[in-house]
Amino acid sequence: MVSTAPPFEKILIANRGEIACRVISICREMGIKSVVVFHAGERKARFVRMADEAHEISGETPVAAYLDGAQIIATAREAGVQAIHPGYGFLSENAVFAKAVGAAGLVFIGPDPDSIDLMGDKIRSRRFAADNGVPVAPSILPTGDLDGFLGDAEKIGFPLLIKASAGGGGRGMSIVREPAELAECARIAAGEAERYFGNGRIYAEKYVERPRHIEVQIVGDGAGKVVHLFERECSIQRRFQKIIEEAPSAGLPTALRQEICDAAVRLAGAANYRNAGTVEFILAPDGAFYFLEMNTRLQVEHPVSEMITGIDLVRMQIEIAAGQALSVEQSDITMTGHAIECRICAEVPERDFAPATGKVLKLMVPEGPDLRFENGIVEGGAVTLSYDSMLAKLVVHGPDRDAAAADMVEALGNLVLLGVETNVEYLARIVAHPEFRAGALHTGFLTDYADDLGPADLEPDERDAVLLAAALSYREFRTLVFDAPEPYASMNGWRN
Amino acid sequence: MALKLTLGGVSHALDIVRLRPDLVVAVDGRSREIVDHGTNGSRRAIEVDGRRFEFIEARDGNRSYLWFNNRTVIVDFVDPRDAADDQGSASDEIRAPMPGVVVELHKHVGDRVAFGETVLTIESMKLQTNLTAPRDGTIASIGKNQNESFEKDEVIVSLAPEEGD
Repeated sequence: MVSTAPPFEKILIANRGEIACRVISICREMGIKSVVVFHAGERKARFVRMADEAHEISGETPVAAYLDGAQIIATAREAGVQAIHPGYGFLSENAVFAKAVGAAGLVFIGPDPDSIDLMGDKIRSRRFAADNGVPVAPSILPTGDLDGFLGDAEKIGFPLLIKASAGGGGRGMSIVREPAELAECARIAAGEAERYFGNGRIYAEKYVERPRHIEVQIVGDGAGKVVHLFERECSIQRRFQKIIEEAPSAGLPTALRQEICDAAVRLAGAANYRNAGTVEFILAPDGAFYFLEMNTRLQVEHPVSEMITGIDLVRMQIEIAAGQALSVEQSDITMTGHAIECRICAEVPERDFAPATGKVLKLMVPEGPDLRFENGIVEGGAVTLSYDSMLAKLVVHGPDRDAAAADMVEALGNLVLLGVETNVEYLARIVAHPEFRAGALHTGFLTDYADDLGPADLEPDERDAVLLAAALSYREFRTLVFDAPEPYASMNGWRN
Repeated sequence: MALKLTLGGVSHALDIVRLRPDLVVAVDGRSREIVDHGTNGSRRAIEVDGRRFEFIEARDGNRSYLWFNNRTVIVDFVDPRDAADDQGSASDEIRAPMPGVVVELHKHVGDRVAFGETVLTIESMKLQTNLTAPRDGTIASIGKNQNESFEKDEVIVSLAPEEGD
């Protein structure tokens, strides 16, 4: 019997929830021992139970504990691991942490710190993309010179988006559609920028109407060889966060797909990118696409790429981090069928996606050969405001997009998660929406169709059945119904 | 007894119309005939006017989460003890859930009772109802005799305070 030694004996996962569970599972498959860190209050969490070892870390807030790189590295050394997997979020795109992990004699399962630095800087990464033949949206750099701004802005063309350099949250931002409006809009934007942010510098970029968010999963060996696992479409977003992702994207012409994937590979190759990463693009209705940013880590939505290609990205991440060559050539990577992911969040869509808290009282997960439920929760577990509201991901794979969408609606319907309010039905309504089915996606989809996506009223019979069902489980009511003394309970003549 | 519930921010009232030969409950005044088919695993099936509904339920205090027809519905119970302006510990008393008459006293002052054990039977709106002990304890006082009438929320039985707290 031939057996290959695992690339590492022991890995620490500097993360929690579903992604920690995901990494633990592949570690187990590869014969690697897993170590997790957790904050007080998570002792009974699923990832803590699943891991071979769990170490408590402390911090002023639970999130602060997971951002405490020094403490995590100290724990890793104490536990005797050889490598750290950062998951996503927290320290995953922190170059200082990645460097410190290396300095501690451990392996960071992710890109080199230089790549994290380069891609983490919006202006540098944009320039790097443009220098390597990757399209970027025409824009002008932040300036306080209003006259110069007007001339440069006019060259970009319309519509145009003006933003405050120091801004955020939409303030100091405006869309200019006509050249005649430009001067007035720029003056107002600069004034607002000054008032809100104490900095009147503004910049402008080409405004893409009804943009789609398309991203390409790439994997590099650190020596210039990069392969892609096709694209994902992540246009269904609420509050600028993705909630439904799919692979491949709906109705992307083959030539355009190739062009976008090539651009991503070119960018990552030029950076000698090592490990898994994602190059994000904005796709305009006319087929023009522009570099948005590169995420130098594993993405939440990586499973959809895995399901269409059959490649395990976390396994690849670990192998590459251990110095192994890429296990696949581009020509080996093919896609089959269509995959959709829905992010199950503890939130109330009808109340502007306000986060919900509670306790998972009942969890019954749909099962199937082409279905993944990536999950960080267990029955009895508390859902608090300490962390992100995402509880789990439901991912389905079907022979084509229609089949995958139908399977997703069915799987969401069969998911029983009681004890905390979630977006499960909202997700099902989106996937069932005719415009979603038609593939007419763009990042404003949820706002445009908000009226269609509200909860349907229960029909009167259903409403009464629900009330009666609830009542029958209520102790006081059951006492009345089932403990009524004979013979009074069977008295007749009450029908008058 | 009228059970008050809220669903989607709307209040509803359930009243038992009769128990036998079949259970009839008025939901906001609409009479519904119910057959409880009991549970099979986590699923409970009921029939309402001949139509079968299956659901999975989980309770958290006065909130009921029901998975039903591929959707999750939240029903909140308005606890009559919360609604009443009660004094002292609710779990020490049996209060009248509605106006009525004492039909029979099953226990006497000084008797030990267990949680859920029937203490007395009352009649209200032609419907007989057992009132049960809210906890284990000893009966300290009974405020009404057989055939005596009472108003809603009147304390009919008090339990002796438990030692140790």
